[in-house]
This record gives sequence, structure tokens and C-alpha cells, in this order.
Amino acid sequence: MKQTADRLLAGGFVATLFLLSLTFFLLPAGKFSELENRYLQSAPHFTWDDLISKNFANETESYVTDHFPYRADWIWSKSFMEQLRLQQENNGIYNGKDGYLFEKFAEPDYLAVEHYADAVNNFAQKHPDANMTFMLVPTSIGMYPERLPWKAPFYPESDVNDFVADRTQAGNLTFMDGFDILRPHASESIYYRTDHHWTTRGAYYAYVAYAEKMGWKPLGENDFAITDVSDTFLGSYHTRGQFSGVKPDTIQSFVPKNAVHTEAYVADTDSKLDGLYDDSFLQKKDQYSYFLGGVHALMTLKSDLAHADLDKLLIVKDSYAHSFIPFLTQHVKEIHVIDVRYYNGSIGDYMKENGIKEALLLFNTATFVGNGEITKLSN
Amino acid sequence: MVFSSLLFLFLFLPAVLLLYWLSPRRLKNLVLFLTSLAFYAWGEPVYIVIMLISTVTDFSFGLMLSNPRFGQTSRRWIVVSSVIVNLGLLSYFKYADFLIVNVNDLLGTSIPLTELALPIGISFYTFQSMSYIIDVYRGTAKAQRNWIDFGAFVALFPQLVAGPIVQYNTLAEQLRNRKVTLEMFAEGVRRFIIGLAKKVLLANNIGLLWHSISGTDAGTLSVLTAWLGIVAFAFQIYFDFSGYSDMAIGLGLMFGFRFNENFNKPYTAQSITDFWRRWHISLGSWFRDYVYIPLGGNRKGFGKQLRNILIVWILTGIWHGASWNFMLWGLYFGVILIFEKWTGLRLLAKAPRWVRHVYASVLILIGWVLFAFDELPRVGGYLKAMFGLNGRPLWDDQSLYYGYTNVILLVLLVTASIAWTRRRSAEGESGSMRGLLNLAWCAVLFFISVSYLVDATFNPFLYFRF
Repeated sequence: MKQTADRLLAGGFVATLFLLSLTFFLLPAGKFSELENRYLQSAPHFTWDDLISKNFANETESYVTDHFPYRADWIWSKSFMEQLRLQQENNGIYNGKDGYLFEKFAEPDYLAVEHYADAVNNFAQKHPDANMTFMLVPTSIGMYPERLPWKAPFYPESDVNDFVADRTQAGNLTFMDGFDILRPHASESIYYRTDHHWTTRGAYYAYVAYAEKMGWKPLGENDFAITDVSDTFLGSYHTRGQFSGVKPDTIQSFVPKNAVHTEAYVADTDSKLDGLYDDSFLQKKDQYSYFLGGVHALMTLKSDLAHADLDKLLIVKDSYAHSFIPFLTQHVKEIHVIDVRYYNGSIGDYMKENGIKEALLLFNTATFVGNGEITKLSN
Repeated sequence: MVFSSLLFLFLFLPAVLLLYWLSPRRLKNLVLFLTSLAFYAWGEPVYIVIMLISTVTDFSFGLMLSNPRFGQTSRRWIVVSSVIVNLGLLSYFKYADFLIVNVNDLLGTSIPLTELALPIGISFYTFQSMSYIIDVYRGTAKAQRNWIDFGAFVALFPQLVAGPIVQYNTLAEQLRNRKVTLEMFAEGVRRFIIGLAKKVLLANNIGLLWHSISGTDAGTLSVLTAWLGIVAFAFQIYFDFSGYSDMAIGLGLMFGFRFNENFNKPYTAQSITDFWRRWHISLGSWFRDYVYIPLGGNRKGFGKQLRNILIVWILTGIWHGASWNFMLWGLYFGVILIFEKWTGLRLLAKAPRWVRHVYASVLILIGWVLFAFDELPRVGGYLKAMFGLNGRPLWDDQSLYYGYTNVILLVLLVTASIAWTRRRSAEGESGSMRGLLNLAWCAVLFFISVSYLVDATFNPFLYFRF
């Protein structure tokens, strides 16, 4: 009997190794992973230089792991085991209450935050003839710490927002704290449960607050046709955390009943978008790119408004702005949108060249503290 | 390449097994030697030269030692040269920058750093090849005349990068004469899977807890969190290292080698003396056989013995890494061992069993604090947190969260440290149920381990920041 067991173990082990190895070679190698939303490592090419620099070894290792047979099933099974052992987080994502997933937010490096806030403040001081607004919006973990798993540690994003508010006091700069805007609506669906963005509704409340600050008359909810465009949205938190039993989110669009025509031009690719929304993304993994067709370094939106509240506005932003910007097309003739991560020119020069006197900086707190790109403002 | 990678498991290992089985007996060592070189070159395409230098030198020195033309004085010089070459290589790569930094600090000079990366496994293979020369010099081993066998001994991939440190004596006969039986192979698979699970499921996961806690400012840790953290580190380092040793021993068995055990339930120790008989046994034996005993051991009076213990433990400390905390760590254990020899063990013998466990565990954990932080102020900060001297409460929300989210893992870790190290050898296994349960258990562990390995490479691209 002992021998039978030995035979099964030895045989089973060797067979598993060879079978998986064979499957790996036989299965066609995919190019793109929907699950991970990225291109997979392509087959490595051997060169002596790559061998010496370990490039070849690294690429081969990535190739093997990227194309490992039944990759998604293995990943699911790991996440399942983690939940079995009462672990409340996976790959940096908390499995919170009421179906909410959250990204961990730790105490940021305040020296860096100071640096970033100063970059914003100095930018305003360097352009005294322009009016600027800096809106810093918490992410869902900042708004709903009570929905975290029991006793889970978190750092309050409001502390970061207060710190940044104190350091951005230039005369022509107004700081708008996302907490003040969104807290009254905390009980509504203002954040996606499975994604790191705010919902269109969250963005709508921010638009109302911004319009009031600018002295415009914001559109009421009744002025929009609100429709659910997707109820299958599993966002970035879900992708990272891979928790089972997560309910997908709904994506809404707020289309004004009195729609205006907007021409959206993407400078990166020198192309025009068909509209403010790209339906094709609703069939893909990355459904949030429905808004404005995803990330662009520089785009301009020109709207046919009979009576515009403002001629030109520059928005320097992260992707929170994507669902927010469509609201502004009701008020501003020309909106220039710059994503600091991808735009490498001088933003100050861009304002001068285009005669822009009004700017909005819109970021979420996690992006703002976790990313040095904002210092490009000083270029 | 590490054993706990998909590339090793599903490409390298099957390829080597196939080559090994297909080659005739007299070529098997050559296959092992060449595949081991490939294994090493994969991670160190350049530094493989250093390993080859060390191998060729010691092979030649071994031949010279066995040549009757050389008298006692010459033989002595040969051993000294071998030690100089090996320790020279080791010191240059491992300790040069440490020396330079300290000399610069002390004398205000500004000698530039070498900034060399430490070649993988250098601490292991230099020790292994030195043991060969010393054994041949002492006459306890015969010089190896076949360069392929010798190359296979030094480069043997199962134990090349992280031990166990195999002394030449144990392997000399097996290099010439070994046979893989079904029983041995199956035992090897079992050991390998258990080692893999220890590393991937236990060490890596509890390592995440230590990573979170050690990344937090020690001034803000509650007492319970600090203890949880260092317990997590203790488990991480044990299951990482002993898992690697298990995998090495298992792979060895698959190719017909029997290495010595490297760990024997170290956390069941009842004194520090006991602990060091159970922890990294191959390193302890090496220092005992090649340093402590040659220095006179305990045979030349208590004074000399004290000196010898301190030398061995300072060396053990810096073997683990070139920085002051490791030296301090070695010295710390040296002092405790001296205390135990002097009177401690006699006192402990009178204490109840649980007191002995608590005594040993607390000292081991404090030792890990010294080991874990290479900046001494952080060691101090962490110790303060453990003993509540940082003004924080006994426990807080953080310790509760870390506690309940890891409670199942901790139970598994404790169980595994007590029960799950040395497998009973063949004669203990009997009964059909037992064999089949064992089989199922191995299969489950293997598949779960692979799913964690695949997940470790899970790398979703998210428009996360923008």
C-alpha cells in the first residue's frame, strides 16, 4: 500500500509538471488580458546583451507567468483561500461592508504632500491675472471609513485635505474641499462600490458646488435625462481584490434635456470624438472610459452656447474629471483639459498662448498624494 | 531562479528530470553539473565566473593536497591559500562596503564604495568548498579526482543558493554511488511540496503582516501589535528558510542525494543552547567543526572556551550580513550561550517546562528584533514598543484587526512549527488510509501553492492614478 501511495505521488507530481508545461506550450499565447487590462509579455528574443543584463531572464519569467495556463482560475482560487482564512484584504483592497470595496489609504509622506501643495500654490501666484480653483475630492475610503471591515486601520483623508487647504492660500486661488461638497450626500450612491471613481451623481454634486462658486446657475436634476447605461461595471477595486460575490455597479449618464452640441478634439491623436461618451467601452473591462473616451493628455471641448457663462476654462485633472466635465459644457464655450501625467509641455505657457484666465484643478486625494506629476505645474 | 517560481517548477524542473533520466549513469553527474550551472547563470550570468574560480581553485588545491610530493608545510600553505581565496572573494563582495563605510566614518576619509551586488549563494558555496579542502587536509576525505563530480558537488542546484551547507564528507560517496528508488523519489516529492507550501503559503502570507507592522512608525505601535509583528517575522524567517531547506532536501532526494537536516522544530526549544541545535543546523555544524573545535573548543579551560564561543558567534552574526546589527545579534546569542553554560541551564532544569519555553521564546524574539532592522535606532524603537515604553496602550484597533484577520494563519503556523518539520522516515508510514490521506494532503498543498504563485504575478493595469 505504501508503494501504491508512493507511486501515485511520484507519478502524479511528475505528470502534473509535464502536463502543465505541455499545456503552456500548446495553448495559443494571448496578447491582451481583459482581466488585467494590459498587454501581456511577448515571447522573449534571445540576444547575448539581454542575457548578460538579465533582461532575457526577466522577460522569460514574465512570459511564463503571463501565459500560465488557466491563470484567471488560479487567481480566483487564491482569493477564495484568502477569504476562507478571514483575511479582509487582498492585493491592497479591503472587502468592506454593504458591497463596498476600498483601496487602502495609509498616512502619506507629508514632506511630499507639502511639496505638491506648494506646486499648486506657486502656480497660482505665478499667474496673478488668472482665477484658479483647486478641488480636492476624497476617494471612497475617505468618505466611508465606517464601511471598512471591522477595526481595519485607515488614515483619514480629511487630515490630508485640511493640510493641503492650509498651504494653498494664494489670493487668486480658491480651495474647494470635496468633503464639504459630498458629505451632505454621503447616503446616496456617490461612489462606485467596485471602482476608485465617483459616480456621475457624485460628479453632479461637485458640478453644482463649482457652478455656485463661479456664480453660474447650475442645472437641477430635473433638467437631465438620467439613464442607466451599464449595470455590469466591475471596476478597478474588483480587478485588484478579486473577491467573490461582488455585485457589479451601475453607470449612469446625465444627459441635459436641452443638449448643446460639443465638439471634442483630442490633441494627442489629432482626432475628433463623436461625443462626450464612448459607448464602445461599456462592452469592455474598463467601462469608466465611457466618459470622454478615457485618458488623453490634452483635449479641447467647444460647445455651441448662445449665452456662455465663461469663454475659456483650463482643467488640470485626474480621471475624476471625466464624468464631471460634461456638466460644464452647459456653461463654458471652450474647455481645455490637461492630464498632467501625460502632458509634458509648460501649462503656464499653454494658458498664455490660449488666453485662458480661469483654471480648475480637480484631483482626488489618493492621486494627489501618491503622484509627483503635479509638480509639473512648475515647468 | 528560485524554486518557488512557475518557471522553475514547470519548465526547469521537468527539463532537468527528463535529461537526468534519459542520460546514462556515467553522464548523470555531468547533467547535474551543467544544469546547475544553467540554474545559477540564469540569476547571475556574470558572477558565475566567481563560482567557477572558487571551484577550479579548490579542485586544484585538492589534487595538490593528495599529491605525496607535498610535505606538511606545503600542505598547510595550500589550505591557507584556499581559505584566503574563498574568504577573500566572500569578503570582497560581502564586507568591503561595510568596512569602507566604517573606515570613512571613523577616519573621515572618503574612500569610494565598490557598490557591488552580492553574488547569489556566495556565502554558501564558499563555505562548502572550504569544507572540502579542510576535510582533505585532515584526511577525513579523499581528494576528488574527477572535475565533473567536484563541480557537481559545489554547484549542485538544489542546495546551491540557500543551503543546507553540505559538507563534502556527507556527499563524497553519494557522488559516486547513488540510486533513486521509488520510495526516495516519492519522499523527495513530499518534502519538496511541504517546503513549497511553507514558503509560499505560510512564510509569504505572514510576511505581509510583518511588512505592514514594520512599515509603521514604531512610536505608534501598541504593545500587542509590536509582539504580533515580531512573532510574524519569526514565523516568516523560519518558514521561508526551512521551506527552502525542505525543497532542497526534497530535490536532492529526487536525484538520489541525502542531505542532512537543517532544522528541527526550532521554536520548540527550551533554551537558547537547545535552539541553536535546532536552527540552521548545517551552519552551526560548520562553525563547530571548522572554527570552534580547531580553536580548542571547550578543552582548554573556561577562559579559552569563552573566547572561542564569542569568536564563533560574532562570525555567525556577520555571516548573516554585513552590518552592525548582525554582529550584535551574534554577540547577543554568544553571551546568552555563555550564561547558559555557566549556570543558566542548571537553573532552567529546575523550572517547569512552560517557563523554559517562555524564556527561550522571548529571547529568540528579542534576537529577531536585532536581526530584522539594520539600523540600530530602529531596533531600540521597536524594543520600546514591545515593552510599552513608547507610551502606547497594551492593544488598540490595529492589533485587533491584524489579530483576527490572521488568526487562522497563526494557528496553522503554530501547528506547523510544532508538528510539521521532520517527516517520519519510511518505516513509520503504514496503513493504506494514512498513505492516501498523505497523498491527498500533498496534492491540495501543491495546488493551493501554485495558485498563490500565480497570484503573486497578478499585475492588473488600472487607470488607477489618472
